[in-house]
Amino acid sequence: MRIASRAFPLLIAALALGYPWLVPNYYLVYAGALTVMYAAMATSWNLLGGFTGYVSLGHSAFFGLGAYGTGLLVTRLDVPWAVALPVSAALVTALAAGVGVAAVRVRGASFVIVSIALVSMTNLVAQGWRSLTGGSSGLQVPSPFPGLHRGQTHMAFFYLFLALLALALLTWWYVSRSRFGAGLLAIREDEDKAESLGVPTAAYKVTAFALSALFVALAGGLYALWFGSLDPIFVFSILIGSNMVLMSLLGGVRHLYGPLLGALIVAPAGEYFLIALGETQIHLTATGLVLILVVLFMPDGILARFTRRRAGPSIPDRSAGERLHEVTP
Amino acid sequence: MTSLRTDGLTKAFGGVRAVDGATVELLDGRINGLIGPNGSGKTTFFNIVTGMIRPDAGRVLYRDRDITRQPPHRIAHAGIGRTFQLCRVFPRLTVLENMLVAVRRTGLRELLAGLRDRGEVERARHWLRRMGIEHLEDAEARDLSYGQQKLLELAAVLMAEPDLVLLDEPAGGVNPALIDRITGLVRDLNAEGRTFLVVEHNMDMVMGMCDHVIVFDRGAPIAEGPPSVVREDPRVLEAYLGV
Repeated sequence: MRIASRAFPLLIAALALGYPWLVPNYYLVYAGALTVMYAAMATSWNLLGGFTGYVSLGHSAFFGLGAYGTGLLVTRLDVPWAVALPVSAALVTALAAGVGVAAVRVRGASFVIVSIALVSMTNLVAQGWRSLTGGSSGLQVPSPFPGLHRGQTHMAFFYLFLALLALALLTWWYVSRSRFGAGLLAIREDEDKAESLGVPTAAYKVTAFALSALFVALAGGLYALWFGSLDPIFVFSILIGSNMVLMSLLGGVRHLYGPLLGALIVAPAGEYFLIALGETQIHLTATGLVLILVVLFMPDGILARFTRRRAGPSIPDRSAGERLHEVTP
Repeated sequence: MTSLRTDGLTKAFGGVRAVDGATVELLDGRINGLIGPNGSGKTTFFNIVTGMIRPDAGRVLYRDRDITRQPPHRIAHAGIGRTFQLCRVFPRLTVLENMLVAVRRTGLRELLAGLRDRGEVERARHWLRRMGIEHLEDAEARDLSYGQQKLLELAAVLMAEPDLVLLDEPAGGVNPALIDRITGLVRDLNAEGRTFLVVEHNMDMVMGMCDHVIVFDRGAPIAEGPPSVVREDPRVLEAYLGV
């Protein structure tokens, strides 16, 4: 069992590394890169959603800002892409921290609404500020690998997104083993109680919010360099954020690999629906349907079905009072 | 030495003054009882002292430091811990995880520290042992009985090493054997130097355990003193019995 649980991630990693060479065509490399991008973003989303229980539908905002930040730095200021990407992500993270201070003051449904408002606002600004962003006519970003053909570019970005995914997973794993992570879980369970035990809940939530924005912003920046063309309506679309939510919930928000598993199902399914049903809005209905089914029948996700924590029957069904006679003479 | 002092604390909800000019002084090292009829402002008083509710007027001083309007976690760091009227633990965390949530100071080191820090885990096990629930450390808190949850809540509060512990109805909803157990624990913890302020309706527990009793009525203290004196005070009898 131990060996199996150690070997499993290695096997997955080996498969992932070999994937571009194992598939027969470049379209599948493209679909793979898109899936890994979503896996990285969903894992990043789960740094906030999974630990604190704050469901953000607004992470598209960080995706779009990361994309436009990188695109604008490259096109308007001639910054090398390898510098533009982290600088843009750092700026978005700082902005997210600022937004977080206001956003995490409200809980539950109110927070969801605030996060949606965030997407709408950034979308409107990106569309309206034509002189900077090019508005709805789009922003063209030159390819960072002009020497590569299309297929090879997909391959390069597949590995870049894979590195990002590894970074996001590593961060989630580290947080899950830290006292910070325990504090975030306590916030999810009972925020006021956590505060009364000395957990600086506001600071913890803002940190988690900013951290979960960081990898999404990096994904957005990579996306800009990959696709080479940005349209506010797409990159600031609430769909990107709701996909992160769907993937995380489907796989299981309490598990390191939950969002990754969700992405492996939802992203290829989305691509399939797009091909099978064409460029209509029907695939959105399919996505919505899956989300409803997950919330109704598997609120804790797929992984929760397989990794039930030891609980219930193993605990002696006696009150502490009755046990007293045993422990105190 | 003064542990906790409040000056003219006032808090109104709508037109109702839940706490109305409450001036209270607690001495270090005592077990203080806080009693009074339902709605006399005891829990609101607790909530103001621990920063969960902001007072409309008045001040809270802890060891001569003004802690009024500080966020609850700062007040916890200052050394005040509390339990809740309806016992509150983190239901889907394990017993041990519940213990490791408490944060004693702010800072990057605390933020990045590993959860399974050996010293911390040892401290957690020490408190669980004293509560008699160490065998449950891997169980999720929601699977514990109510009495066990009460003990866990108290253990988790003690992880933060408070000097002043506020207990909101520690005997509420638990069986008599456990009440004796909690009373014994409070006495022991007090003998080790911790100050207590206990809201409780179980008069046997209050009168048997406390050194000093404060009686609240309509949001302010109306009498205080040793249990034997308070019990005979006509104002207390009137507030309780309406005679």
